Amino acid sequence: MNVTFEHVDLSYDDKKTILKDLNFTIPDGKLVSLLGPSGGGKTTTLNLISGLLHVTKGQIFFGSKEVTDQSALERKVGMVFQNYALYPHLSVLDNIAFPLKMQKVNKAKRYQIAKKYAHLVHVEDQLTKKPAALSGGQQQRVAIARALAKQPSLLLLDEPLSNLDARLRIEMRQEIKRIQQETGITTIFVTHDQDEALHISDYVMVLNDGRIQQFTQPQDLYDDPKNLFVAKFIGNPVINVLDAADLQASLQKYLPSNFYQQVKAVGVRAEAILPQPPIDCVGQIQAQIDKIEHFGSSVTANISYHQQRLVSTGIPANYQFGKQLVDLYFAKQGTYFFDNDGKRLEVKTHD
Amino acid sequence: MKKTMSQVLLYVIVSLGAIIMLLPFLWMISTSLKTSTETIKIPPIWIPKVLRWANYVEAFKAAPFMRYFVNSVVVTLVTTLGQIVTSILAAFAFAKLNFHGKNFLFSFFLGTMMIPGEMLLIPNFVTLSKMHLINTYGALILPYLASFFTVFMLKQSFQAVPDSIYFAAKIDGASDWGFLWRILVPMSKSSITAVTVLQMIGSWNAFMWPLIVTNDATARTLPVGLQAFTTDAGTEYQLLMAASTFVIIPMVILYLFLQKYIIAGISKSGLKG
Repeated sequence: MNVTFEHVDLSYDDKKTILKDLNFTIPDGKLVSLLGPSGGGKTTTLNLISGLLHVTKGQIFFGSKEVTDQSALERKVGMVFQNYALYPHLSVLDNIAFPLKMQKVNKAKRYQIAKKYAHLVHVEDQLTKKPAALSGGQQQRVAIARALAKQPSLLLLDEPLSNLDARLRIEMRQEIKRIQQETGITTIFVTHDQDEALHISDYVMVLNDGRIQQFTQPQDLYDDPKNLFVAKFIGNPVINVLDAADLQASLQKYLPSNFYQQVKAVGVRAEAILPQPPIDCVGQIQAQIDKIEHFGSSVTANISYHQQRLVSTGIPANYQFGKQLVDLYFAKQGTYFFDNDGKRLEVKTHD
Repeated sequence: MKKTMSQVLLYVIVSLGAIIMLLPFLWMISTSLKTSTETIKIPPIWIPKVLRWANYVEAFKAAPFMRYFVNSVVVTLVTTLGQIVTSILAAFAFAKLNFHGKNFLFSFFLGTMMIPGEMLLIPNFVTLSKMHLINTYGALILPYLASFFTVFMLKQSFQAVPDSIYFAAKIDGASDWGFLWRILVPMSKSSITAVTVLQMIGSWNAFMWPLIVTNDATARTLPVGLQAFTTDAGTEYQLLMAASTFVIIPMVILYLFLQKYIIAGISKSGLKG
């Protein structure tokens, strides 16, 4: 089922606005991440989808049906919480069967369905245990099975991996992807970890400051950020950001004059800073290379430019450098120009 | 060496505490087996020469204790059950629901805890006598069907249950009522047991209020019945102590069975009993 928000606002006490004019459609059967820093509005957005919170203004649709005023129960969503929220006094089987019990499904039937989902999430050998006897990953699997058992319209996951250790987190994110693909259920996943979002999602919605910054496929977020926030938020190492005032000469040389005057900031990905001019060069600086670090397959060069530290991964490990300034070049793919409001400007270079 | 010393010291202190707590009970049992003259001997006699078990028979015949016992059981069970049910409902509302004036109401009720119980004796008596309930179970039960102390204890323990469990239950299709009885109450079993036992002990031992509102055996409870041994001519301590032993035994048994829950429940609520 797809989910559509139309002009959704949320504010508390008519004063503090949490979400501003949210418009989006989450496509049916996809896995979508809501990604952003804490306080950006991603959990709030999820709670609006689930029906645990209600909009101040605007409309929400599931498919073509408006659900704006429906409760979480009426919307039939399945939800997994960060701390799993399993019922500690019930066995794994009873936890998974609980939503069915509430629907008054008879005992034999609900246990049969619960076992099917326990099998899907691989906890079929833990059925009689209490949640406290399970590991974090297993508890999370049980929570997912419980959310799926009532055959929900949507599966919502609120930071489901934050309480797991690093190794388990990677395992569980593959599992969530697998379960989502096996059931084909539209899944919405909240995370503050870009790695998680980029690895498992079909689409990623970046939220900050109560607004959608960008909503697109994972690779596009990196290759084609719509604004300075997304450019800075996505990618590791973090994109180098230079003030246009620091780059006057270069901008003048590479960009048309009517265009470069709008540029306020330039973002350059680490891999776009090169020692040789590329074919589609869009910038050039004279800077000092301080150090080149080499770990495994990654080579990172630390560069000083106008009291600013830049990072490049485009300089080879065996590059010879001294104390003198060297010429470094920016490749078009990985260099972005932003205006006064942080909005990305389309590149128009001299050809 | 230092560690064993501190261990020894610890045990000495704990044992001293235990002895101080136990002494009155031992004294009670010892007195209940003495003759009348032995009870007032100085220096006191700890173990009487002849154990007079006959005191128990005599004490039991001195007043309609069977009737008092039934009264005590009825009053204790009904007040405890009523109070726990009302407190669970109120504590749930204060812990998990949002309603207008919640904080004000909570502070207001908390304020009522500062009114000493003795001050309520007269107003309550007047109210109940106007309701023609004096010398009935009603008088003993009605004023104790709600207790803010119990509400407060349970609220603390309900608040310890994460909101996400509440939301999960809502999403799973449980109503507030269903969540309360299927999830919240079973999850708070130890706290509920603790307040139940504390309330039962309090109710079983209650003296002042039953003394005031009962005037014969119809509704009189055991602690009030113990007065039978205090007359103008003095107190028959050996009989009083024999009857007292009989009165406290049910509570001691209850406590021994449930002490695990009581201790867990009290420490969970972050309160001292």
